[in-house]
Amino acid sequence: MTTVASDLHAKPSWRSARSAIMTGLMVAAVGAVALPLVAVLWAVIERGASVAFASFPDFFTSEIPVISRRAGPGMGPAIVGTFLVTGGATLLSVPLGILGAIYLNEYGGTRKLARAVRFMATVMTGVPSIVMGLFIYIMWTMRFGYSAFGGALALAALMLPVVIGSTEQMLRLVPSHLREASYALGATKSRTIIAIVLPAAAPGIVSGCLLAVARAAGETAPLLFAVGAATAYNPSLFDEANTSLSLQIFGNATSSFAAAQDRAWGAAFTLVLLTFLVTFIARVVTARFSRMR
Amino acid sequence: MQNLLMNKPCWLIASLAVVGFTGGISAGCKKKPDDGGGSTPGSGTATGGATAPSGGPVTLNASGATFQQAAQEVTIEAFTKANKHIKVNYGAGGSGKGRQDFADQVVDFACSDAPYKEADVGKVKGGEFFYIPNVLGAITVSYNAGVDKLQLSPETIAKIFQREIKTWNDPAIAADNPGAKLPATGIVVARRSDGSGTTENFTKFLEGAAPTAWKLKSGSTVEWPVDTQAGNGNGGVAQIVKSTPGAIGYVDLSDAKASQLKYAAVKNPAGKYVEPTAASVTAAGDGIEVKDNLVFTALNAKGDAAYPITAQSWCMTYAKQADKAKGEAIKAYFKFMLTDAQALLPEIDFAPIPKSLQERALAQVDKIQTP
Amino acid sequence: MQLSELHARSQHADRAFRVLAVVAATTVLVVLALITVTMSKRAWPVLEHMGLDFFTSSRWSAPEGIYGALPFIFGTLFTATIALALAVPVSLGVALFITQVAPPWLKKPMVYLLDLLAVVPSVVFGLWGVLVLSQHFGLGRSFLTAGIILAVMITPIITSLSREVIETTPQTDKEAALALGATRWEMIGASVLPHSKGGLVGAVMLGLGRALGETIAAALVIGSALGQITLDPYASGNSMPAVIANEFGESDGMHKSALIALAVTLFVITIIVNLVATAIVQRSMRRSRGT
Repeated sequence: MTTVASDLHAKPSWRSARSAIMTGLMVAAVGAVALPLVAVLWAVIERGASVAFASFPDFFTSEIPVISRRAGPGMGPAIVGTFLVTGGATLLSVPLGILGAIYLNEYGGTRKLARAVRFMATVMTGVPSIVMGLFIYIMWTMRFGYSAFGGALALAALMLPVVIGSTEQMLRLVPSHLREASYALGATKSRTIIAIVLPAAAPGIVSGCLLAVARAAGETAPLLFAVGAATAYNPSLFDEANTSLSLQIFGNATSSFAAAQDRAWGAAFTLVLLTFLVTFIARVVTARFSRMR
Repeated sequence: MQNLLMNKPCWLIASLAVVGFTGGISAGCKKKPDDGGGSTPGSGTATGGATAPSGGPVTLNASGATFQQAAQEVTIEAFTKANKHIKVNYGAGGSGKGRQDFADQVVDFACSDAPYKEADVGKVKGGEFFYIPNVLGAITVSYNAGVDKLQLSPETIAKIFQREIKTWNDPAIAADNPGAKLPATGIVVARRSDGSGTTENFTKFLEGAAPTAWKLKSGSTVEWPVDTQAGNGNGGVAQIVKSTPGAIGYVDLSDAKASQLKYAAVKNPAGKYVEPTAASVTAAGDGIEVKDNLVFTALNAKGDAAYPITAQSWCMTYAKQADKAKGEAIKAYFKFMLTDAQALLPEIDFAPIPKSLQERALAQVDKIQTP
Repeated sequence: MQLSELHARSQHADRAFRVLAVVAATTVLVVLALITVTMSKRAWPVLEHMGLDFFTSSRWSAPEGIYGALPFIFGTLFTATIALALAVPVSLGVALFITQVAPPWLKKPMVYLLDLLAVVPSVVFGLWGVLVLSQHFGLGRSFLTAGIILAVMITPIITSLSREVIETTPQTDKEAALALGATRWEMIGASVLPHSKGGLVGAVMLGLGRALGETIAAALVIGSALGQITLDPYASGNSMPAVIANEFGESDGMHKSALIALAVTLFVITIIVNLVATAIVQRSMRRSRGT
């Protein structure tokens, strides 16, 4: 008798207590995520920013010391290399990816080819970046040597399915009455796509592409066997070995020399800053987009 | 042509800006013409006869041994200072990568701690090529065990690296170090995680000097016991030895010294314990036998003063160069490497090659043909 | 006359555009076919040389020409498992916090921050792992260190995917549960989780795919021990992508073929994981849309 009474009495409080505990655990989870991420970012900022801004703007403009144990700035060539590799990959994958997505959404629909491409694009997003690196090494580097372009090819292959996926999603959001109105005015299909559909989806597409760019800019594994190891500026996309921020971080991370480790932190700071910047721009574009709608 | 090269990236960067990267880059764009040296032809005034005929800008790409990375780095720095129109990129991806890249004609020259295997020579796509020896260097057995001096015989080293000897006060180590006070701490073995010519030479030394004790054979990667620590590159192993009490690892002398590691004196074929120094490495160089194609091994060299784990490294380039400007630049670089740059080596704890070998190497370089 | 010419020209342009789009879409098929063909061709010698032992032997000795990938396959799966064990509860917790608990003013910045963290390059995590985590926290270079780094890397990804899935729970379902007197946790258990189960599994699988293929961070902190098959998380080990990154540069002949075969193995495993994940996500999306 008493047990039943106490049970009835206890139940609601136990239930709400359990709910409170679980809520507490969720808060703890937020802490558990925040802790390492903050630690990483803090290390990058604390150790990287001091290196990067030690004698501004030398770190961003000087060449990389040929003798790695020697102290001193220089990630300029790696910054240029990162821009070349990522920029090249963007120029290759974005037009292709957008065109591919146009095919999937505007022409292909549920056709066999479209279904196959959609499926294979999903498969392709799963290709590990190191595998893509080996592939490009075999296909390109073994024939044409080191260059920023080899890295660009590897990154483009990684970006392509991502661009296709996000662009197709954005195209699908364009209401079909826009297309119909355009046809009614006598426009051809290609004209409708270029003049009506793409502009309507543009902000979403741009934002999706920018996120793909931000991810690609930090990739290391695909560049390992394709780009080479320059220490001097190489502004050419196609000729001679180049370098990148990510490669410099990887190369210097395991060095036993403090000077090299410092440069790794400085490069990490620069790279994180660049990727954040791109992500930030993507956010701004999306925000403007949603306001427009 | 030069303008075309210059314009490409700026155009690229401009289009990048459209996609979202903005600002910051214009500096890199404008900087190029005056720092590449292309705009100041004729600035090649250097000491010695190792100055390339000045002309348009040339870039030499090379890859290969991490072992002689520091040697290449000082050579490149001094050479490009004297020859401002030439750029040299040395990617230290390992000897095997160097040999592969060279065979595939991906690079203009490559450096390697080991020559091609007989069977692989035919796979070198560019035809006849020369081995140019350019540096000798010691591979140290570096340690972090709280003792100032350590002597090790090849057998003991073999057993330590095979994890048969696991503590510092093991009788075998004590036998090599009569009278020394050895700590009872456990041994942590540090070795390379990446394939490496340094590993190849180190294991070849053990194979030669301790044939019965050493069972892992030799190669750029061998089957290390499971409980060994791995680091990337000489620097990575040095990092482990430096930060781990009780650690021992093989690191090239240059990196070991620069990382302030302690290293053991190793027993040579003459039965003497010799510390790795520039002098003991040069002594090893005096005791080598060189084949006609300048291939040799400096491991386990004869002589009382010779350090037994002395490794050699070559740079390789094609006998018939396809590109005139590049060919001239390679000749000039190799000559510089064999003459002026030899004097720079002791500073970074490598040893120059012996005089007789230097003369033969220079004769080979003279044979390089340019169109 | 002129009009019809114009008409013809625009029709030409229309067709050309269509062809262009088809060609672009087909690139995906071409690239994948090329990857499959070239990689398999170069992996074949070692598979011929080793047979099934390539997958079952635990000895990897280049000088002896023995290539058994089992420890690397094990290491890849083991570190990924550690990463998931750490990342999944935390990611779910954060996703639930953002969607169910956080006040609106906090929600937006949190989502924004997570998106930002998802683009931090893996090499930066690797740098932190090798210079800070493994040295100052007594973890050394081990399965666990690699697992932790991978967990930190995939948490933002799993969280943001889970959040999107959870957010599709119809408001009416949640209100119904609350109206019946359920506490917040009971509401989550009764309406949110059942509704999003499929999508959450998919999110976790996509995180798993990431963890399996991650190269650089793993290569820096896993310790590169050979032949290690143990459930001791503090032991050094190795993973397929780390072995490739470490040994490819110095490899030739059969060794190179063995590394490419590793890449193919990794490729197949990650593709299976990804396809299963996509299938689960799509099925649950379809169900939640009620079609």
